[in-house]
Amino acid sequence: MKKKLATVWLGGCSGCHMSLLDIDERILEVAKLADIVKCPIVDGKPFPEVDIALVEGSVTSDEHYEEILHIRKQAKVLVALGDCAVMTNITGMRNYFPLQDVMAAAYTHSPSNDGEGMWPNHAALLKLHGKVLPLQSVVTVDVVVPGCPPSADTIFYVLYELLNDRMPDLSTAQKLKYG
Amino acid sequence: MPVITVYINGQKISTESGVTILEVCKANNIPMLTLCHLKGLHDIGACRLCLVEIEGVNRLLSGCTTQVADNMMIRTDTDRIKRYQRITVELFFAERNHVCAVCVANGNCELQQAGYAVGLDHIRYPFLYPECNVDTSHPWFVMDHNRCIMCTRCVRVCTQVEGAGNWGVMNRGHDVRIISDFNTPWGESSTCTDCGKCVHACPTGAIWPKAVAQGQLTKYPEMIGELVEKRKLLQ
Ligand code: SF4
Ligand code: SF4
Ligand code: SF4
Ligand code: FES
Repeated sequence: MKKKLATVWLGGCSGCHMSLLDIDERILEVAKLADIVKCPIVDGKPFPEVDIALVEGSVTSDEHYEEILHIRKQAKVLVALGDCAVMTNITGMRNYFPLQDVMAAAYTHSPSNDGEGMWPNHAALLKLHGKVLPLQSVVTVDVVVPGCPPSADTIFYVLYELLNDRMPDLSTAQKLKYG
Repeated sequence: MPVITVYINGQKISTESGVTILEVCKANNIPMLTLCHLKGLHDIGACRLCLVEIEGVNRLLSGCTTQVADNMMIRTDTDRIKRYQRITVELFFAERNHVCAVCVANGNCELQQAGYAVGLDHIRYPFLYPECNVDTSHPWFVMDHNRCIMCTRCVRVCTQVEGAGNWGVMNRGHDVRIISDFNTPWGESSTCTDCGKCVHACPTGAIWPKAVAQGQLTKYPEMIGELVEKRKLLQ
């Protein structure tokens, strides 16, 4: 039976997904063993039930919070992919300051804004939380892959192990990397 | 010095007395994780990574500050030691703000290497996210407290090797900070000779020259030990 694989992008820069694409022709190996049923370029439908979910990015807002709780219910194996998901990384740098100061820096005082100082607050927009959180402080994470981004080799190693029902071990595989 | 016998991880070793467990390990190629130790400086046991178990002693001791004694039974490789080493490295990451992706030391940092050595893939403790000062007042060097692990290698090299005594330590617990002179901007220091030794001694991206970009920092901490040896020849 082919496995179901999904990838998602929360509070991150998409760099981990770029690194995933850098596995190049090895994507064919992945495709032999799994169907990619959801990823950031698949529109619309809610996150389906999957065997493996690769989650890039941290939890920065109400929307991310709901989403990661839903993904946790849907995924047999949840992989925290990249430094933002694992330790908040650059997205967490705003945690040193109150949210109001961060918003003011971006929308009131930034030299590049239009001068009106309006803060976006449309109902359709996500609402930023006061503090950015790594995935493991919101849900149980099964596999952790640090790196900004993790290398294509590391991502392929992790995927290939999981697709073959083995638990990847970055430490013994000497593939640990931060930054 | 009289010769004594110690046992490290079951291996029988003859050594002179009056040396530390770390020195014996180094001489016998027994790996020992260290961070605050730097050859040429006095050891102070600040980082608690060089842990050892000694038969008959209940608590773990630091190998860099514990001297060997005759017939000492020492272990450096137990699960208990490994567990504490991992916790300690996690706490270093949790208590300041380490964003390796934008750090000058990325790829050449002793804290990262310690993390890899203990198999740290994530941090189990809540991040404190303290607001930390970045002192850019010195004409050539930056002191970024976000990345400081309080090993005091900078303090010791400045006092013990350069003889300038610019760096000191202020406060305790989470509020502990390295300070320049009496907590004034480094650029206004009346003691710093601008020698750059602390830049090389610092194991992380906390002290760095302004002329480097992300991931480009190269340090030469061995230079400190070599300097100390060369000075002995002049005496
Ligand atoms: S000092 Fe080391 S661990 Fe800290 S951010 Fe820089 S590279 Fe990462
Ligand atoms: S540059 Fe030299 S004198 Fe100045 S603080 Fe660093 S070690 Fe001390
Ligand atoms: S600035 Fe560097 S050398 Fe000084 S205590 Fe901090 S980490 Fe250690
Ligand atoms: S190296 Fe021994 S305590 Fe830091």
